[in-house]
Amino acid sequence: MPRNGKLVRIAFALVAASLIGALAATSASAGGKRSTGTLTGAGSSLIGPAVAVWSQLYKPETINYAAIGSGGGIAQISARNVDFGASDAPLTKSQGAGCHSCVQIPWALTATSPVVNIPGVPADKLHLTGTVLANIYLGNITTWNDPAIKKLNPGLGLPNTKITPVHRSDGSGDTYVFTNYLSKVNHTWKTKVGCATTVSWPSGVGGSHNDGVAAVVRSTPGSIGYVSVAYTIANHLSLARLKNASGKYLLPTIATIESAAQLVKSERIPANNKISITNPPKSTKYQNAYPLATFTYVLIPQQTAKAAQLKAFVTWALGSTAQSAIKKLVFAPMPTVVVKAAKKTLATIHS
Amino acid sequence: MSTYDATGDTPRRPFSRRRARLGDLLLQGVAGLAALGAVVLLGLIVYKVVQGSRLSLSTFGLGFLTHVSWDPVHNHFGAAGFLFGTAVTSIGALMLATPLALGIALFLSELAPRWIRGPVTALVETLAAIPSVVIGLWGIIVLGPVLRAHVMPTLHSALGFIPLFGPSSTGSTIFTAIVVLTIMILPIVASISRELFLGVPGELKEAAFGLGTTRWEMVRGVVFPYARGGVAAAMILGLGRAFGEAIAVTQVIGAFNGGISWNLFSSGNTLAAQIANEYQSSTSPLETSSLFYLALILLAFSLLVNVLAQLIVRRVARRQGLVVR
Repeated sequence: MPRNGKLVRIAFALVAASLIGALAATSASAGGKRSTGTLTGAGSSLIGPAVAVWSQLYKPETINYAAIGSGGGIAQISARNVDFGASDAPLTKSQGAGCHSCVQIPWALTATSPVVNIPGVPADKLHLTGTVLANIYLGNITTWNDPAIKKLNPGLGLPNTKITPVHRSDGSGDTYVFTNYLSKVNHTWKTKVGCATTVSWPSGVGGSHNDGVAAVVRSTPGSIGYVSVAYTIANHLSLARLKNASGKYLLPTIATIESAAQLVKSERIPANNKISITNPPKSTKYQNAYPLATFTYVLIPQQTAKAAQLKAFVTWALGSTAQSAIKKLVFAPMPTVVVKAAKKTLATIHS
Repeated sequence: MSTYDATGDTPRRPFSRRRARLGDLLLQGVAGLAALGAVVLLGLIVYKVVQGSRLSLSTFGLGFLTHVSWDPVHNHFGAAGFLFGTAVTSIGALMLATPLALGIALFLSELAPRWIRGPVTALVETLAAIPSVVIGLWGIIVLGPVLRAHVMPTLHSALGFIPLFGPSSTGSTIFTAIVVLTIMILPIVASISRELFLGVPGELKEAAFGLGTTRWEMVRGVVFPYARGGVAAAMILGLGRAFGEAIAVTQVIGAFNGGISWNLFSSGNTLAAQIANEYQSSTSPLETSSLFYLALILLAFSLLVNVLAQLIVRRVARRQGLVVR
């Protein structure tokens, strides 16, 4: 009998303890999200290293950012699990609807870049064109000593190694930029594969996030992948020089990315800020323009309780201190027209 | 309930006081609610998964199961590639893990010196405690490159005439996933088999030895037949673990959705890995719904496997009950 009572007491204690635990957990998470002084964000891994730098410099708030991929960022801000999302790809129609009046604001300018691991070929020396790149990923060019690649690289001793094209396995803004470019330069690519954050790859291997692609490329001789420029530095990957429409073979640098962004001046920026600067046309103005440059976006609900804090943070991020702090990660300063458009959209956010 | 009533007539609680009776009621209520909660939760999950997959179900129907495609640009989705990858990786892992696990179980129950059994048993069970993401990380950084550089070329040159062992170019392959899954299900099959082997009645073994059998003949003639059904159930549990595993497989299999290849040394994908890859990246309602459809297939398989394993265990328990009596 006393044992029976003891059992009941233990059961009570357990239930009470778990109830208290659950209460504490929910209130803690709610507190973590709501308390002033912290902004949480998630999304693009391309912008990840830049936000890490910014969070060191930005004093008014603590910035918690999870680089889970652009697709993840869109999902998280749509569910309002975070204060802001980040994506390198502009929202699709259904994503825009799913996000319930989010605004997208360009807040940084960088590039994604083809990286290679070819035994016997020195770093950053391989020349590629968009057409050859498309044919490699379509599975039409399968070895590194293929005549089409040899023609672009007369001096290089290209081996008879099989080519392993590596792509992102998660939904990614890098994939969007990459397939956007391939769709512009290759008709077969445009009709067969198309452009999106996830596409149906005709051949190759997937890696998860920028780090995953970098890891697969590093450990696979004969492989080619595409990685945000900031990650190529950290991972010591060998870049391929990409031919632009004006016929120059270029690496992604501040200068070549900035040159590609000149394209925006001649275009009107739409209300949703959707800007593509891949493959600038042949012209003396764009002769040094890198063909895989991209703006990357921050996604914010038009109406949010943290409107003031978010506006302050993004305004700061668009400013010269923040923009020049990420130059070492190969983020180029944004053109004035884009900053203007960004601030105009930012002003529409309210609480 | 019936056993409760059967003993209910005996003076169960002659000195029962009201407080204790209240406590009993409370305990029954709390425990019953907890049990009910689990059932309701399962029901809700099944409901949500079916509801989520409705759009894809009505768009693709059963054709979803036979189409190889995951194309968000052209809005066309199919599960055949993932079904194939799931089947090949989990059956492959089971084929590698079972003989190894039986060897471990025999060693630990019959052959090893007594002082070694405890520590080795504990270590084998620790293998099951390694988080899958850690095995996956090791898989992509260490195992994949080693398999690509040494194991796959050797197998290809020796057995290349079999389509399964084709040429390799990367470490992220179906084969790598099979090896990773083998490591993950090995401790499950091994520790259950060990328990089963230990459960073989000593008098049966003694009797076999009395007939002058060698140790191997005893194992083959007594231990294996006695434990056969239980080992089958352990294998099915291992299979369930293998095809539900997402993270480690996602890390090493290479996420290739473009086709079905019999070459184990090429990249592929599984149901669970595809869900893990895409669940946050869906670009349209149809894609989200198709992911739910994949989840529905996975859920149906898991329930089937669990029921199957339980049926086998029950049958074995009944048969062994007879043997012991």
